[in-house]
Amino acid sequence: MIRNVSKLLRRKKEKKRLDQREAKPQEKLHANFDQNVETFRSIYTNCSDVLFRSFLLFGKTRAMIIHIEGLSDVKGLEDYVLSPLMKETADTPQSFNEFLENKLSVSKVEKVHLLADCIESISSGNPILLCEGEETALSLGLAKWEKRSIEEPQAESSIRGPREGFIESLGVNTSLLRRIIKSPALKIQPMKIGEYTKTNVAVAYIEGLADPTLIKEVNNRLQRIEIDAVLESDYIEELVEDNPYSPFPQILSTERPDVACANLLEGRVVILVEGTPFVLIAPISFFSLMQVQEDYYQRFVISTFVRWLRYLFLGVALLLPSVYVAVATFHQEMVPTTLLLSIAAARETVPFPALVEVLIMEVAFEALREAGVRLPRQIGSAISIVGALVIGQAAVQAGLVSAPMVIVVAITGIASFMLPRYITGMSIRILRFPLIFLGGTLGLLGVVMGVIAIVIHLCTLRSLGEPYLAPLAPLKKKELKDMLWRAPWWMMNTRPHFTGESNAYRQSPHQVPNPEGDKGKRQGRR
Amino acid sequence: MLVEKKRNSFIKCALLFLSFSGSLFLLSGCWDRVEINDLAIITAAAIDKKDVNQVELSLQIFIPKAMGGGQGGEGGSGGENVTFVISQAGVNIADALSKLQADFPRKIFWGQCKVFLFGEELAREGVYESLDFLLRHPEPRERGYVFVSKGKAKNILAMKTNLEPYSGEAVREIATLGSGLAVTLQDFDELLTGASQGAALPYMKVASKKGDKESSYDYTSFIGAAVFKKDRMVGDLSRKETRGLLWLKNEVKEYTVTVRPPGEKGELSFTLGTVQVKVDPQIKNKEWKMKLDVKVTGMVIQNGTNLDVNDPNSLKIVQQAFQKSVKQRIEGVIGTAQHKLKADIADFAEEFHRKYPKQWKRVEKRWEEVFPNVKVQVQVNAEVRRQGYINQPEKAREGVDNE
Repeated sequence: MIRNVSKLLRRKKEKKRLDQREAKPQEKLHANFDQNVETFRSIYTNCSDVLFRSFLLFGKTRAMIIHIEGLSDVKGLEDYVLSPLMKETADTPQSFNEFLENKLSVSKVEKVHLLADCIESISSGNPILLCEGEETALSLGLAKWEKRSIEEPQAESSIRGPREGFIESLGVNTSLLRRIIKSPALKIQPMKIGEYTKTNVAVAYIEGLADPTLIKEVNNRLQRIEIDAVLESDYIEELVEDNPYSPFPQILSTERPDVACANLLEGRVVILVEGTPFVLIAPISFFSLMQVQEDYYQRFVISTFVRWLRYLFLGVALLLPSVYVAVATFHQEMVPTTLLLSIAAARETVPFPALVEVLIMEVAFEALREAGVRLPRQIGSAISIVGALVIGQAAVQAGLVSAPMVIVVAITGIASFMLPRYITGMSIRILRFPLIFLGGTLGLLGVVMGVIAIVIHLCTLRSLGEPYLAPLAPLKKKELKDMLWRAPWWMMNTRPHFTGESNAYRQSPHQVPNPEGDKGKRQGRR
Repeated sequence: MLVEKKRNSFIKCALLFLSFSGSLFLLSGCWDRVEINDLAIITAAAIDKKDVNQVELSLQIFIPKAMGGGQGGEGGSGGENVTFVISQAGVNIADALSKLQADFPRKIFWGQCKVFLFGEELAREGVYESLDFLLRHPEPRERGYVFVSKGKAKNILAMKTNLEPYSGEAVREIATLGSGLAVTLQDFDELLTGASQGAALPYMKVASKKGDKESSYDYTSFIGAAVFKKDRMVGDLSRKETRGLLWLKNEVKEYTVTVRPPGEKGELSFTLGTVQVKVDPQIKNKEWKMKLDVKVTGMVIQNGTNLDVNDPNSLKIVQQAFQKSVKQRIEGVIGTAQHKLKADIADFAEEFHRKYPKQWKRVEKRWEEVFPNVKVQVQVNAEVRRQGYINQPEKAREGVDNE
């Protein structure tokens, strides 16, 4: 009863909040110049960074330019707008349109009727030009602000491959995509999300490769978002995910344009967000998390080997500590005798049970890692010294932890960093802890139960409707070429299935290099 | 609405999981959870006969402190023992074990024990009762090796070793090396309960090299094989016969054959390459016959004769000598088994059983009488494939140099 009432109340409150949000000012600009100026001044009271510049258009008409300091190209404004317009010329243009075409030497100019649009234009850096006697204002495409230069991505470095990374500016980011994919089939749909931030978001896809229903789904999910601010793409990631409670990322993020483009070309959708170098890629599968750009930039034999190494270390990162605890406390007969003897010798002075020992070490390791990320770079070395000395040596010498345990934790730590993306490593790291508990309480039986639970969970996961374990479950034999191994490029003939059947081939088959055969052909021709 | 439902079910799930995993810790002792620190790891076990109707169980137990792990190089097993031996008498093994455990601070753990030793006295009286414990109890490994010791088995446990950390490991290493017999608990059980009801176990004793105080040491010496009929030891094979038995069982690995070709002064030695033993039982006119077909290749490793193996004629002589030697070894052990011990240690019974199940049924009960009368025909095909790095014998080479 009480629950029902409270539910009802809550729903009412939510509705009220929604009503508030939807009140978007539809007010139009006035024909009266003074009134317009007054409106703007009242909107921007106490905004010291908004500049109002009034002048006489061709020495006759009153006009005003409104822009925000630092967001617009001041020199351009002076040279191409103010100086030509302030000249007293004999032939005053007859109409507004003519004036637009002939006198303004700015490439991107838009007519604006609504007050709200004016404000949006001003806040995105485009100055607004108001003239006396006109109901429309002009938005001048002179936005220009300070931004970082394009640098090598910090979180995803590679030895071979492009060294460009996305930056915080959306315009630059889309240009980076366009520079790689020149076809006009690359579509970029703009969108604004965030009540206060009005963050520019762009959905990029390739027409003809991406499934139209997928694009519709992405748009639907994005349009559903009502939020104050989008400061990073993770806001959007969490709001559009299929299973919000899962520890596994269902949307990939990358700061590499080449990775984004590769995924676009496989029919996926890329969501770019203003203000962050991390763009989102969806739909993905679990195995996308195991792939790195470099897999495709080096010989396939090496890539396949490295990929399998990654799979192996995924298992190690997830299971090694829990299996160690389980074997050391339940299944001592499983260890080779000499190994057990040395473990026994090392553990002799340790006062804690193996479960507690591994927990202490794992938590300490996680703390060290987190501290290392947050610390200013200058102090970073201090952490590594303290970590290596205290955790590594002193703890063993003091007999608090055993040396084999240090080795296990160290290997596990390295293994979790083997996973290509930091976030993937994190989800594996978190899952390690319940597994350690299970291993320490139920032995290998518990570990197996935990693994089964994780696999079941992975099976239920979806990324924008695509099964998370594809192409393994459901089995798609053709796509195993990019999962079990990295097939050489001359075998990568078909695209992944979600690009649709209509455009299944990405290249012409039979491109195996065959110099001997070619020679024969050439001679034959002669 | 839907989202809310989902959230509720998630919270429910999470609570269930938390209470479930929380209760795991309340389970006292977590079933069979035991820390390594609380284990007394048995590295080898010996079973001897004590008085009338009493057995003595001796266990070689590992001392973790002695290995000095973790504390850096200070440990090591210089002169310090890494194991010690505890023993106790009882009416049977289980009884002795429970008595031992009662006075022992750590849980006695059989899981790593890979060496089981029977004292000769016990072996002669019967091992079924002891085997029952070792096979029935869940902890002892069925793949541990079984040995018989001349004299008290306990002495082997207490022996000091030079190379290996403890004597149990030394014994096991010798068994796995393949130069002698290696019989696991499971093999032993299968042989005794199988068709032949006969088995041979490695037979050993503690030998000592006498010298002054520094240079004298003890070691385990494999003196042959102990032959079992049913569960009783009935006799033993010499070293040479044991090697012959290895041929019969097709388990020859590390092996050196040394022969003296007829009319020569020195010896030739071979190591073996591939060895194939085909066993073909035949029953013709009620006559039971066993055909053994041995194919073996050898490599010359020492040539003290004047024969040049490169020469086809000399090669023929050498091969014949090689062949004869192998044949003698095999026939020797068969003779002993059939006529002296009357124990089917090569498991001929199983071969007959497999090929002639009907006829086997008829003799199954009186196999003991049939076995000595089985005619054994050994055919050896020995080849010398490699002659080593030098062609001519060293003797001949010297002669050339002198010219």
